Amino acid sequence: MVTSARVRMSIIGVIALSLFGVLFARLWYLQVASGSQYAAAAEQNSVRTVELPAPRGSILDATGHKLAWDEPSNVLTVDRKLKNPELTTVVKRLSILLGIPVAVIDKRLADVRVSQYAPAPVADDVPINALAEFSEHKEDYPGVKAETLATRRYALGDLGNSLAFHILGYIGEINGDELEAAPKSARYFPGDSIGKAGIEKTFESVLRGRPGEQKLEVDNTGRVLRVLSVRRPVPGDNVKLTLHSDIQRVAEDSLQQGMDQIRGVQDQSDKSHYTTFKADAGAVVVLDASTGSVVAMASNPTFNSNQFVNGITNSVWKFLNNPAGNYPLLNRAVSGQYAPGSTFKLVTATAGLQSGDITPDKVIHDTGTFQRPNDTRKFTNDHSESYGDVNLARALTVSSDVYFYGIGSDFYDASVAHQPTGSLLQSTARQFGFGKATGVTLPDESSGRVPDAAWKHSFGEAEIARAGGPAKCPLCDPDWLPGDDINLAVGQGDMLTTPLQLANAYAAFANGGTLFRPQIAAEVLDPSGRPLRQITSVADGHVPEPARDAMLQGFSGVTTDPKGTATASFGGFPAGLVSGKTGTAEVQGKQNTSVFVGFTPSGLVPGQNPRYVVLSLVEEGSYGASTSAPIVARVMQALNHMPLTNVVIHPPSAGN
Amino acid sequence: MATVVSSERKSRLQASPLVHLDPLLVIPPILISGLSLLMIYSSTHTRLAEAHQDPLYYVKRQAIAIVIGLVAMVIVAAIDYRRLRELALWGYGATLLTLVAVLGVGAQVKGAQARFDLGPFQMQPSEFAKFFIVLVLAGYCAIHRGELDGRRLAIAVGIAAVPMGLIILQPDLGTDLVVLFGVFAILAMAGARARHLVVLALLGLTVATIAIRLGVLEQYQIDRLTSFAAPNKDTANSAYNQNESKITIGNGGLLGKGLFQGMQTNASHVPEQHTDFIFTAVGEELGFVGSALLLALFALVVWRSWQAARVSSDLFGTLCCAGIVAMLVLQVFENVGMTMGIMPVTGIPLPWMSYGGSSVIVWFACVGLVANVSMRRFS
Repeated sequence: MVTSARVRMSIIGVIALSLFGVLFARLWYLQVASGSQYAAAAEQNSVRTVELPAPRGSILDATGHKLAWDEPSNVLTVDRKLKNPELTTVVKRLSILLGIPVAVIDKRLADVRVSQYAPAPVADDVPINALAEFSEHKEDYPGVKAETLATRRYALGDLGNSLAFHILGYIGEINGDELEAAPKSARYFPGDSIGKAGIEKTFESVLRGRPGEQKLEVDNTGRVLRVLSVRRPVPGDNVKLTLHSDIQRVAEDSLQQGMDQIRGVQDQSDKSHYTTFKADAGAVVVLDASTGSVVAMASNPTFNSNQFVNGITNSVWKFLNNPAGNYPLLNRAVSGQYAPGSTFKLVTATAGLQSGDITPDKVIHDTGTFQRPNDTRKFTNDHSESYGDVNLARALTVSSDVYFYGIGSDFYDASVAHQPTGSLLQSTARQFGFGKATGVTLPDESSGRVPDAAWKHSFGEAEIARAGGPAKCPLCDPDWLPGDDINLAVGQGDMLTTPLQLANAYAAFANGGTLFRPQIAAEVLDPSGRPLRQITSVADGHVPEPARDAMLQGFSGVTTDPKGTATASFGGFPAGLVSGKTGTAEVQGKQNTSVFVGFTPSGLVPGQNPRYVVLSLVEEGSYGASTSAPIVARVMQALNHMPLTNVVIHPPSAGN
Repeated sequence: MATVVSSERKSRLQASPLVHLDPLLVIPPILISGLSLLMIYSSTHTRLAEAHQDPLYYVKRQAIAIVIGLVAMVIVAAIDYRRLRELALWGYGATLLTLVAVLGVGAQVKGAQARFDLGPFQMQPSEFAKFFIVLVLAGYCAIHRGELDGRRLAIAVGIAAVPMGLIILQPDLGTDLVVLFGVFAILAMAGARARHLVVLALLGLTVATIAIRLGVLEQYQIDRLTSFAAPNKDTANSAYNQNESKITIGNGGLLGKGLFQGMQTNASHVPEQHTDFIFTAVGEELGFVGSALLLALFALVVWRSWQAARVSSDLFGTLCCAGIVAMLVLQVFENVGMTMGIMPVTGIPLPWMSYGGSSVIVWFACVGLVANVSMRRFS
């Protein structure tokens, strides 16, 4: 080889060497230096994760009856990878087999809530004969599989509703806000179910369990090649409520009966218009006063949770949000705010006794009208009825407004400085739990309102500002006036309470002074039913009971005395079994709110402390004695194991 | 070196040339082709099984090609290469004829008219053209050793240009690129002047540009050539292949996912993986260690061939080996570089690795030729 040839051969060698060098360097860069980045890309390319939903825990009543549970349902699924024309044929055959329109099946096939890598369920609750037909002719249905999936079920009430609809709530597909709010560790994904209301919402983390997941390796066309890993789902725990479904059922039915009946009655107070009572909404609350636990809680109108399970239709959603439907989703027992009317006299009496303004024996001559000295404004009893000489017990029994107007007026005078947070009247109301959410584990609880000078000032100023100056709003007044205390004394004016707050205040009185945080869940059980966690009742405070006996006597008279406001409704009850207080709250522009709070036993028999508090409230439902007292009476029958009679309302007659 | 005749050499002259067979030259291609059977199986068996076909379909066909290739290697090595010079002219002529014929009656595969259907097998004349162009060109240059003036250089270029022209009409730019490097190496080693070589290089560039301008190349081929510069621009089309290819190799990491365990490979994410992109299967399943070993085997063949060129007893042998070295280096660099995203995508196989009978047979014949030159270095 000549020298020049050697040089040229060496050049070829050097070129070869450097080209191989480049290859080695690039190989090192791809596989070692940035290998993890490419490994991640490969994983994204080939690995698909399919969520395995966990069976949701059940919700049980106090005796262990299932109120909400996951039920296995026979489902037919179609492989999403099935292509036309096979797909069209299969869908057509399924449509004939199941009697479901092709369009419905197509829609479910396109449902984005189901993972693209999981077969799409196209029919739930497939009847047995259709399943048999399918399994005999499987070859006619390529890509179709019969599976068992869990479907949420709710026990039914008697009104076309699910029992305790407002307490249990319902589940639905998670929305954007909920996804954002959920902690990362909870691992929610679009399409997951989540509790939307009631216990389903507040106990979501307990009931849900932990979803499992399946990692699948897929090829470039999305076909599943193999299962890489499976993490089994952990079933959710069960929640046992304090609710008794038998009492709940009676409460719901009784409320409906009372509302139905008063709706047929003419409203005498409206002489110019021939109208009947609207009575389009109401609530019943039953508390165990000894523990603060909720025995029953009904809200009307109500709905059926089962309708939410597979997603509700647009028309149903419109109905639920239409004012004419009166918002069935609203739990009026905890979210509704109402003037308590005369039921508030519990607080006024306690405050008056505390301040020394009254004693149990102090007698007032009730002429039917109350007037402050040097004041022309008159405050009257209903129909200005005169009750003559009344002491505390009598005033409660006959519901003498004049007796309590005086207490309110005295509170006004005693607090000349008009402390922003009010007098002993307001603070006693707060002691009974008014003006603050009770803390029951149900969503959307309202706090109610105890009106005081500070509140009225800011409210009045805001009103004036909205109207555009004091001249434009002559009735707007930011100052706390005698009438505010006088009205508050009889639960009128700006006082607002939720039915649960009011029932809870009576429970505190009934049990001897302990204000509980109302309790709805009793314990958490594991999926096999073993107790995991007991939920104990929590005392939130104490209420003073300066003259318990006199007041008990007064409340007892309400249901037993010939002049008692609710005696007509409790004729069938043995003496000493039931006590209570009626309330009839005036509402601006609306018919009166009918309220009754009772407790049983009455507490008059020694050794028998009141145990249950039952409250009924009917919006635009006439007198407390007319509608709510009979509703409460029927629930009391159930609580006392008496034979149930239908609700008989006592419509007000002229001059009553 | 060639002028010194020692007594030792005399004794070597009498011995069978087989004694001087270079094992480091012939064993690596056999190892590589053995590995190719595993990797072809890995990249095709899931797809074949899903289509309810024999998962060993491609493996069996490749095994047949390897056997034929080994036979071809033995035959090419056995006949003294100086006799091959004359025989090659017949092969060159036949190649020209088949290259013309394939344009007329060849089977259209992936936009190129490059193969004959011979019963169950296909033949790719352009692969055979590589071998014969090297032999005939080396033969011509060796006759006029050291005297490649303008006229002779033109003839030499013509010898290569005619078949190359036919190949580019298929169009198969990749093969021409490989051949071009072989031709360059042969001309350089044959003593062509540097200035002539530069002119030739410019001429080659011009031809390539004209080919692209005149639309000889299909749009997809131009896309493939240019997409490597911006691979993330459009992963759905031309760069998709290269992007998946890089991911697959990168996924292998240092030690690889294990034989038949490649996620990307099993899932058929890389198109043409068993043919032009076979290196990605090696990359993913055998990792950096396995891939580097494979490259080392290629480097070993290159080194031994380079050495054969240097020690050849005559210029013809040197030129043959130099041409093959240049073609092998470029083909490996282009193919592996393409799978790693540093070279444009041109459809050329990885020698002894890619599925495809013609390539395997021709590359075994090439290594046979180098072995031939190498073991007859003393005669």
